[in-house]
Amino acid sequence: MATKKLRRAKLSQELCERLSRYQITTCQDFLCLSLLELMKVTGESYRNVQKLLRKVSLACAPKMQTAYEMKVRRSINPSAAFLPTSLHSLDKVLHGGIPCGSLTELTSPPGCGKTQFCITMSVLATLPVSMGGLDGAVIYIDTESAFSAERLIEIAGNRFPTYFDSDEKLFCMTRSIHLYRELTCDSVLKRIKSLEEEIISKKIKLIIIDSVASVVRKEFDTKLQGNLAERSNFLARGASLLKYVAEEFSIPELRDHSCQRKKLFFRHKISRGQTNFSYLDESDYHIVEQWPRDPSRPSVSSS
Amino acid sequence: MQRDVGSLPLSPALRARLLAAGFQTAQELLETGPCGLSKEIGISREEALEALQVVRQECAGDAAKTAGGSGSTRKCTALELLEEEQTQGFIITFCSALDNILGGGVQLTKITEICGAPGVGKTQLCMQLAVDVQIPECFGGVAGEAVFIDTEGSFMVDRAADIATACVRHCQLIAEAHQEEDHLQALETFSLESILSHIYYFRCRDYIELLAQVYLLPDFLSEHSKVRLVVIDGIAFPFRHDFEDLSLRTRLLNGLAQQLIIIANDHKSAVVLTNQMTTRFGQNQSMLVPALGESWGHAATVRLIFHWDNTQRLATLYKSPSQKESTIPYNITVSIPLGMEIQRWEQSFGSTEIVRGRQT
Repeated sequence: MATKKLRRAKLSQELCERLSRYQITTCQDFLCLSLLELMKVTGESYRNVQKLLRKVSLACAPKMQTAYEMKVRRSINPSAAFLPTSLHSLDKVLHGGIPCGSLTELTSPPGCGKTQFCITMSVLATLPVSMGGLDGAVIYIDTESAFSAERLIEIAGNRFPTYFDSDEKLFCMTRSIHLYRELTCDSVLKRIKSLEEEIISKKIKLIIIDSVASVVRKEFDTKLQGNLAERSNFLARGASLLKYVAEEFSIPELRDHSCQRKKLFFRHKISRGQTNFSYLDESDYHIVEQWPRDPSRPSVSSS
Repeated sequence: MQRDVGSLPLSPALRARLLAAGFQTAQELLETGPCGLSKEIGISREEALEALQVVRQECAGDAAKTAGGSGSTRKCTALELLEEEQTQGFIITFCSALDNILGGGVQLTKITEICGAPGVGKTQLCMQLAVDVQIPECFGGVAGEAVFIDTEGSFMVDRAADIATACVRHCQLIAEAHQEEDHLQALETFSLESILSHIYYFRCRDYIELLAQVYLLPDFLSEHSKVRLVVIDGIAFPFRHDFEDLSLRTRLLNGLAQQLIIIANDHKSAVVLTNQMTTRFGQNQSMLVPALGESWGHAATVRLIFHWDNTQRLATLYKSPSQKESTIPYNITVSIPLGMEIQRWEQSFGSTEIVRGRQT
């Protein structure tokens, strides 16, 4: 929306030409200027500039919906609201499962089973809706090379032996899981940017990133100057892209973090017996809305 | 009338021409008339007429200001302000401790900022306020509507529906206890559907959409004159990444703050913003401070900081012009435990009655 060209904002042709002489071609350029600057570049009076501002804003602003309309839309299609994890107590705490249309983050010390969980979720997403799945394909972005196709088939065969009774069904399932190995932050970001088209062409219903922390940890050493800001920048950009994709296509997205046993000085919630929090710090967490922190304790955001 | 031509809000090119032609005061322009003006400066008659209309309006506005009239100036005595503040309602938060430290609840015509770490309950409070602003007047509410601008995508409709259901149930219990005519009448229109239909939701994906929406907000509020609450959930999120030019960010944020203050005053609504926390590195320790920098701290009138103390959530009133700085514990419940809450509600209901001196 920000990069929308001004001529699509219904401004007159001559005004657009005049503005392009000052390098103002998109709505973003227009809205970032102050009123006096706008008067100078458009050559209009104060009142007219305010009218122009409203016109351009109308072209960029989001559409209004009431909360009631949102509720009605969700209730029309209740099965599409969650992806059950097939772990009953977890599903109960999450009020149904992993919510579609938002980001969910999974974090734990190494060896707890995050990658196994992700592989299981991939199988579940390919199951038909009648069995609690999403009947669609999966995009699995693997940064640690931890994905094992043999393990995938083992899980599928053992969890759902009646459904995957033939090799044909197993291969069909594996064909719908698209694996991408990305080893740098840049390539992860590029992959996320290309998701929109993939989702439409391959009918994707679940996106998994395993794991975010490993690429970030490899490239950004927070002891060096300026790295913290760059790292937050990368994470925030990735997160907002993922959120946009999740909401637009109503897909659940799962992000993995592996964490270290380091006691970080800005973490104030480490307690024994619970999972230690991951490498990323407080400010990075604002990006994610829901995370099943400790299944035995009801998570705040699920209620 | 003696206003200098250079200070009139005309387009720069026109102003330059007028000054070059030798016009100095607005009075001269008005005396010349549109035809004379168009001949002298070399502009069309329509343009001249438009310019004169602008000049006339400005002068009328100036005259009103000097004569001490109302309108664009907001002049009144402190006594009038006191009376206004006493009759003004608060938006309660359904947590009596929080309402107490705020002095009754979230105030109208003021900007309140809620800062906190993720997961501490900022969005929950915003959803609660969006429901509570709609409580009918006979139950002690302001009977308004709510605008919810979401930049982070954390608004969950189901949770809002739960909160609304609990609120309706409360009002029903109050009505049963008191058995009054206006209570029962108000309850007829206060239902889950009506509450949800009066929460106007906007999802802004980046800072440009947010800016655009705030520019359009005055028009929206004029159309929906019953709106008494504007929530911007996540003012920091769109501004914290992808901004190389920090001075542009400061300028945009300040402009945003100015517009929100004007909206809060003109439309008599409360503006609630949520902010993130960032880490500030000191000498050999670090602390969490609200994001967006020091200059943003001046934008909000009232600042609440939510934080954790082991497993207990605490709310601190960090900045307020009228209340004492204090910290209280609070909880986020799935639904309000009925018996306890009725008592607390009646207490706060009763106390606001005393303050406002209304008859029940």
